Amino acid sequence: MQRCGTMKTPELTHGFEIDIDRCEGTMSCMRACPTHAIRVKDGKARLIPEQCIDCGSCLKVCPTGAISAATLTIADLDRFRFKVAVPAPALFTQFARSDTPELVGQALLLLGFDAVWEYALDIELINRAIRDFVRRWNGPFPLISSSCPVVVRLVQVSYPTMVEQLIPIDAPREIAGREIKRLYSEKLKIPPEEIAAIYITPCQGKSISILQPAEEVKSHLDGTIGISEIYNDILFNIRRLEGIEPGSEGDSEPRKIFRMGYPEGEFHNLSESHYLPLTGLTDIINVFDDIEKGKIRNIEFLECHACPGGCIGGNLTVENMYVARAKKLNLIASIPVPTKEYLLEVERRYALEDFSLRAPLNPRSLEDGKLDLHERVRRKKKSNELMNALPGLNCGLCGAPMCRDHAEDVAAGIADLKECVFISKDRIQNLKKHYYR
Amino acid sequence: MAELLRQCFVMQGRNFDKAGEISGEIKVILRDLGINAAYTRRVVIVAFEAEMNVVMYAQSGTLTFSVTEDAIDLIIEDVGPGIPDINLALQEGYSTASDEMREMGFGFGMGLPNMKKNSDEFRIESVVGKGTTVYATVRHHEDA
Repeated sequence: MQRCGTMKTPELTHGFEIDIDRCEGTMSCMRACPTHAIRVKDGKARLIPEQCIDCGSCLKVCPTGAISAATLTIADLDRFRFKVAVPAPALFTQFARSDTPELVGQALLLLGFDAVWEYALDIELINRAIRDFVRRWNGPFPLISSSCPVVVRLVQVSYPTMVEQLIPIDAPREIAGREIKRLYSEKLKIPPEEIAAIYITPCQGKSISILQPAEEVKSHLDGTIGISEIYNDILFNIRRLEGIEPGSEGDSEPRKIFRMGYPEGEFHNLSESHYLPLTGLTDIINVFDDIEKGKIRNIEFLECHACPGGCIGGNLTVENMYVARAKKLNLIASIPVPTKEYLLEVERRYALEDFSLRAPLNPRSLEDGKLDLHERVRRKKKSNELMNALPGLNCGLCGAPMCRDHAEDVAAGIADLKECVFISKDRIQNLKKHYYR
Repeated sequence: MAELLRQCFVMQGRNFDKAGEISGEIKVILRDLGINAAYTRRVVIVAFEAEMNVVMYAQSGTLTFSVTEDAIDLIIEDVGPGIPDINLALQEGYSTASDEMREMGFGFGMGLPNMKKNSDEFRIESVVGKGTTVYATVRHHEDA
């Protein structure tokens, strides 16, 4: 991935890649980026890694498909001896109503997975851990859910004073990964490294949370496969299964699973009066801004999912979000009463395990830590002053999404004020070279 | 200590819809300046409570915000009713807010005490019938 030359924090990776050869510099990504982390210079998109929160907005809008998620394919899993799929609840909303979660699970086994993980229990455990945490908390409210990796990164980058309000409880998928490693290495007598716990993901944001967790530890999961990557194969196998008599293939394990799978809505059982569920980055940013201004009070808990509609609206899903939502409601309605064994297992694991994040979350430092206050003040004043020279139209032709960004880039010494077409008219001629081909 | 940056904001009394915007703006400035989160939080609490007091009680006011190497100074000056007994006003829970204000979730008598608690230097000057000026200095603590 190409990066802006002067910005340095090479340790920071991201859950997607920009293929520079395929990039035609259309600026669609730059305009879609909520944190203004993309510049388009000389007809090519570049990422400012420190500002990227891995929301994947760029990936969705790229007309040439130059931006792709850093996910795995089934073939990548060959190096593992035992492969376990951890399907995001959103996966089950992607197929027709008659394609039950059990069928989807069996199709995953046919694809080469050795087991499909029952994720519901881990969600239940984290639900409880979060509920208890909210009750015990005596710091500033509202607390913010940390299961969406994009929301965590948004807070770390844009709302550093709110980082301590991110609930320091691990995501259900991580707890699932931990339990998978423990259970199967014990059962099969093989080292945990030879077991793959693969998250079937609705978005590339989960990839980054596995590649580089925000709390800077090693993930319990080994990678992600995008729903869109294996959608066709699952569908093909579901159709094959339909022609087979029940019980004749892949029985036992997948038969028992998903009876409790809550698709999305992970905290539906929290107190309603002090709880706001939010979806979509635009809405989340509006609410966070209102919190900063002190306008939202008496709210204890915000459940935030960066994709509109929640994870079913993820950028690696296939089904129309509203259709998926209808399927989800249908699935919730058909959740059976939990069995006694299930409830006992919840009690047993809740008492035994720790669900806290293994390291604290910190704000992400956006610039080279060596900059002193004097230099930052100088840049701030300089960029304010430069704003007077710029038209304020946010046309983006300089290669920065807004005039404000261009002014800041110039003040930081990484752009030239003359890249503005209002300041140098011959800039248009330069742009023509890139865009009239 | 040499002043690095100074900014002045104007506030209108009873502008509840705009309340919090100045402290929100200060928060963004401090973030851009790379000021750490705990330090910023204290400054913003002081600014927010000051802003709310002007909106709730005064006709108008100004908030002057200045940054030096080791501290942030806030001076909030308003044209308003003034505070007859400053010591009483500084007691937690003491409030003269109307029922309407309380219904909006304000006026729990924590404003001034909160400002004092989050400042390293804090002083109020007030003339009844004329207005109030609050001087608050928030310092950067290494351990914060």
